[in-house]
Amino acid sequence: MFKFEEICELIQLVGSSGVANVEVEHAGSRVRIEGRTQVVAAPAAPPAGVPAPPPIADPPAVAAAAQPEAEAAAPEDENLHPVTSPIVGTFYRAPNPDADPYVKVGDFVEQGSTLCIVEAMKLMNEIECDISGTVVRVLTENAQPVEFGESLFMVRPA
Amino acid sequence: MFSKVLIANRGEIAVRIIAACRELGIRTVAVHSEADRDCLHTQLADEAVCIGPSDSASSYLNVTSVMSAAQITGAEAIHPGYGFLAENAHFAEIVGECGLTFIGPSADAIRLMGNKSQARRTVAASEVPILPGSDGPLQSSDEALALALEIGFPVILKASAGGGGRGMRLAWDADELQRAYDTAWNEAERAFGDPTLYLEKYVENPRHIEFQILADSTGRVIHLGERECSIQRRHQKIIEEAPSTVLSPELRAEMGRAAVAASRAAKYENAGTVEFLLAEDGGFSFMEMNTRVQVEHPVTELVTGVDIVKEQLRIAAGEPMSVPKRKQVRPEGHAIEFRINAEDPETFAPSPGRITRLALPGGPGVRVDTHIYAGYTVPPYYDSLIAKLLVFGRDREEAIVRSRRALSMVRIEGVKTSVALHQRILESEEFVAGRIDTHFMERFLS
Repeated sequence: MFKFEEICELIQLVGSSGVANVEVEHAGSRVRIEGRTQVVAAPAAPPAGVPAPPPIADPPAVAAAAQPEAEAAAPEDENLHPVTSPIVGTFYRAPNPDADPYVKVGDFVEQGSTLCIVEAMKLMNEIECDISGTVVRVLTENAQPVEFGESLFMVRPA
Repeated sequence: MFSKVLIANRGEIAVRIIAACRELGIRTVAVHSEADRDCLHTQLADEAVCIGPSDSASSYLNVTSVMSAAQITGAEAIHPGYGFLAENAHFAEIVGECGLTFIGPSADAIRLMGNKSQARRTVAASEVPILPGSDGPLQSSDEALALALEIGFPVILKASAGGGGRGMRLAWDADELQRAYDTAWNEAERAFGDPTLYLEKYVENPRHIEFQILADSTGRVIHLGERECSIQRRHQKIIEEAPSTVLSPELRAEMGRAAVAASRAAKYENAGTVEFLLAEDGGFSFMEMNTRVQVEHPVTELVTGVDIVKEQLRIAAGEPMSVPKRKQVRPEGHAIEFRINAEDPETFAPSPGRITRLALPGGPGVRVDTHIYAGYTVPPYYDSLIAKLLVFGRDREEAIVRSRRALSMVRIEGVKTSVALHQRILESEEFVAGRIDTHFMERFLS
């Protein structure tokens, strides 16, 4: 069982961090704290945890911390366009393990150009950019599982 | 035994399967559509993966997405629940080809039994009585007519791939048959993507009696007795109970033997249900076999003490079923299930929306299987079943009194539910006397 103080601490943590929710499982009991819903420009909210919720399972925070590349300063965040995964599968940045990634942060991409691959059932699905613009962030690490609707890239529209 | 199982379903059955897995120490992976982010199964499972948008064709029915979710989570087996991919032989095959275990019968057994006209041919070779009708799918409406004249009207046309009453039409004469053929064909095409029909002699005022069977890899096949499922509206079951009020021990044994023979004819393994029509004169005939766990399986669990979902997991893992040998499972007491749907109890119109207040009954002899909670929004995309209220009593009389008590303690606010309908049915003299058949609801609502 969780102690009352521990739950209070979690509530404070969620409140001050801007994180949407935290779910903690310990010794057979589980507590989930949800913060106030943030108004985010992205249509697809960060999805629930994949894989298993680790002791502190907070998918949005993990995604942010694991962010492999980002611009030093990202102004006008509200104007960024998220490119989401159209299928559940495994995310690959390059066409094969030895190749360069399709795109890097700072690259200009045309609408329709390939950003990455999501592999589902041994099928390599090339994910195309749905707008033209500059890649500002890559939100997922290579070879990581992604869910349907998960944001993969942030693109600043041209 | 498996260490991780993916549940390719949603709602109450996903929660039921998680419960069985947890008791067996198996970790669970829930999959869900975007509309089901807050559904209870995604919260109770050890892991949850979003596999697609709200429409089920792009999520729960999408084989690639389900398999991909199994792959990225490292699940060893997939439980399909009921509906969605549960009776899809192609899916069962793919699961096997990917090196995972499908928790259900083999793809071959699904093919032999899942398709209704094929099922007739499968069991015809064994000692299972079937209704006079077409030997396999009909080629044309002319063939249907010739056959109908031979076996005599009334006849019923059914979709080979059917279920839930869609693609099903009754005809009392030749004119009606022509129209029925076209409507049923179109309906079957739209509902199942397969327009093939078959034809059977129509039994007037039958009871729908089904037998639960279990079959494991040691070759053991047993039945767990019957469920009386005659309280239906438009072929959707509303109330199920066990045992039936009209089966003598001799008839039960005879029907049970037929159910086991039908299962053996398909080399069936895992849990399944053999459905029969029981005529007023006590004659019975094979209707179809459901190659999956049924919505109403808890009725049998209550009267036999067998946990059917746990047996499914054991059997799929190659273990023998845990039901003691050398002893026919003998149902004790009486169980009734009430399907609580989010729908208007008068008009039957679906009533999706947010559940603002919820209190569910408990106490002696009451079980509730559900995925709803206060604050949960019932999405409009899936079927309207939100809870199953099950009641167990020493005998039918006690079960009925207890049912009235339990239903009176249900508080669901925010959506309309079928609770009031169940309460009215429990006041019906016919129901209380056990004088029921598949036309009960038509009479009751008229």
